[in-house]
Amino acid sequence: MVKEGEKVLRVNLIFRIQHISLMVSALVLAVTGYALLMHKSEAGKFIINFLGGYESRALIHRISAIVLIAVCIWHYLYVLFSKKAHDEFLKIIPSISDVKDFFTTIAYYLGGKKSFPNFDKFNFIQKFQYWGVAVGMTAMIMSGLVLWFKDISMAVIPKWAIDTLMALHGYEGVVTFLVLFIWHQYNVHLNPSVFPMDRVWLDGMIDVERLRKEHPLEYDRLMSESAKGGR
Amino acid sequence: MDLKAAEKFRGFFFLASLFCAFFVIPATVHADEENSKCFVCHGKVDFANPLKTGKVISLYINFKEFSETVHGKKLCTDCHTDVKQIPHRNVIGKVNCANQCHFLGNPSGAPETMKYIEYKNSIHGKALFAGNHAAPQCQDCHGKHNIFKPSDTRSFDARENIPKTCGKCHLQEYVDFNTSIHGTQFKAGNKDVPVCTSCHGEHNIFKPDDARSTVSAEHITKTCSACHDKVQIMEKYGIPTEQVATYDESFHGIAVEFGVKKAANCSSCHGYHDIRASEDPGSSININNIPKTCGKCHPGANVNFAKGKVHINPKSKESGIVYYISKAFMVLTVSTMLVLIIHIMLDLRKRMQKRKGNRE
Repeated sequence: MVKEGEKVLRVNLIFRIQHISLMVSALVLAVTGYALLMHKSEAGKFIINFLGGYESRALIHRISAIVLIAVCIWHYLYVLFSKKAHDEFLKIIPSISDVKDFFTTIAYYLGGKKSFPNFDKFNFIQKFQYWGVAVGMTAMIMSGLVLWFKDISMAVIPKWAIDTLMALHGYEGVVTFLVLFIWHQYNVHLNPSVFPMDRVWLDGMIDVERLRKEHPLEYDRLMSESAKGGR
Repeated sequence: MDLKAAEKFRGFFFLASLFCAFFVIPATVHADEENSKCFVCHGKVDFANPLKTGKVISLYINFKEFSETVHGKKLCTDCHTDVKQIPHRNVIGKVNCANQCHFLGNPSGAPETMKYIEYKNSIHGKALFAGNHAAPQCQDCHGKHNIFKPSDTRSFDARENIPKTCGKCHLQEYVDFNTSIHGTQFKAGNKDVPVCTSCHGEHNIFKPDDARSTVSAEHITKTCSACHDKVQIMEKYGIPTEQVATYDESFHGIAVEFGVKKAANCSSCHGYHDIRASEDPGSSININNIPKTCGKCHPGANVNFAKGKVHINPKSKESGIVYYISKAFMVLTVSTMLVLIIHIMLDLRKRMQKRKGNRE
């Protein structure tokens, strides 16, 4: 039986490792990519020279890309073939209730409702972040690989397509970075309810009390399961 | 000079000197008069020194022309200091412009510049001092008895004559230049097109692989953009000026900016002496030649390389899909940020309201 004041597991170790690897590689990719976009600015020049010049910047960018691609593949296989992870994955698939939740939340913000809607394990914001990252990563990896193996890809697709992917890689990178830097930062660091930091990403544990408040449907499910299982 | 050949002329020299001694008044110091002694012989069109090899060295000097040169008021012996008697009994050596007059602080009033020092450090000077006698010295480019100001069309260094002057040694480059867009325009009298020195410099010419060279990988963009990003020059010919800026933003341009020499610069694709307009079938950037040109660095380059613009400005509509992608992402980025920031504001506002409510 889960008691008040206790903590329960919210994110398992493998997901946490995946999250940290993704975070580190994405940060390095963002910094090294930003330097290339902003090569005329002092900051861009500083980063490129600090990393040892144009070619080593590219090397670091690509090493991080390998890490990021590996994490994506690992995550993909993990949610596909591990029963536990697959169950988690099913919970993050968007559904009609997310649209309802979205409007209820707006209504709550504007004073039309007394409280947030009853969220499950992942609320619509978290789902949006997850799928945003999934779409963004796919776009970045695909276009990045085309640019990386330019001699091969240019022999297959016309130059204007390469130029398009190059532009897309840069712009999509900026959007992804801004979303993570502004919104994700707010949700997991600056938000008054978690400030200075939501520690779930480190130990994977969440207070039962917080679970009950923020993810009541998941809380109810856990309660009934533990009652049945006599944990 | 060939001594034996000189001996043959000894009798002639003797008579000539007698002529000078009797008919020219040596006391006057006026240059024309003093020099006229020399022109008794050197003023004859067929005055020459036949070498044993069969080559004939002309010793004729056009007196009228000489008197109009920048040195026209100088005495022959001001430069030919080793001429002590007529006929000359000694071998007359080469004049050393830098050591005899054109050094810093010279007393003869010759223009003082650092150009000699620039020359000494240049590829020409270095080659000469290393013992390469084919390397040009002052006279090879500036002339000897026909040195005029560069603004004078008779000068070797007048804009009109520069390609010919350099072409005396650099024949292949001269031919290439003549057939290029710059060269054909030059021959048509166009004053905007570059001549050799416009890109290579004058006294400070270095090898293209020397970082100091104006045509090195490090500096070529700057050299070309001296004209090619100037709207007032390029608009006359309908040549876009954003090529330099778009190159600077390309992978090639950024790589070169950070010192990667193997990355393509202007001349890698456009060529250098034989640059042609893209419509010219012989141009390296003609649509049919692009696969070959790109293939110099990108193995397997094929016709796909020619499908699309090269100098792309995402802000210009002519860039096609890249322009629309750029516009779409601008809208997407701004609207996403707006939505997220609105969310943050709403969330914070609600939390503050709730906190106030709880306190009350």
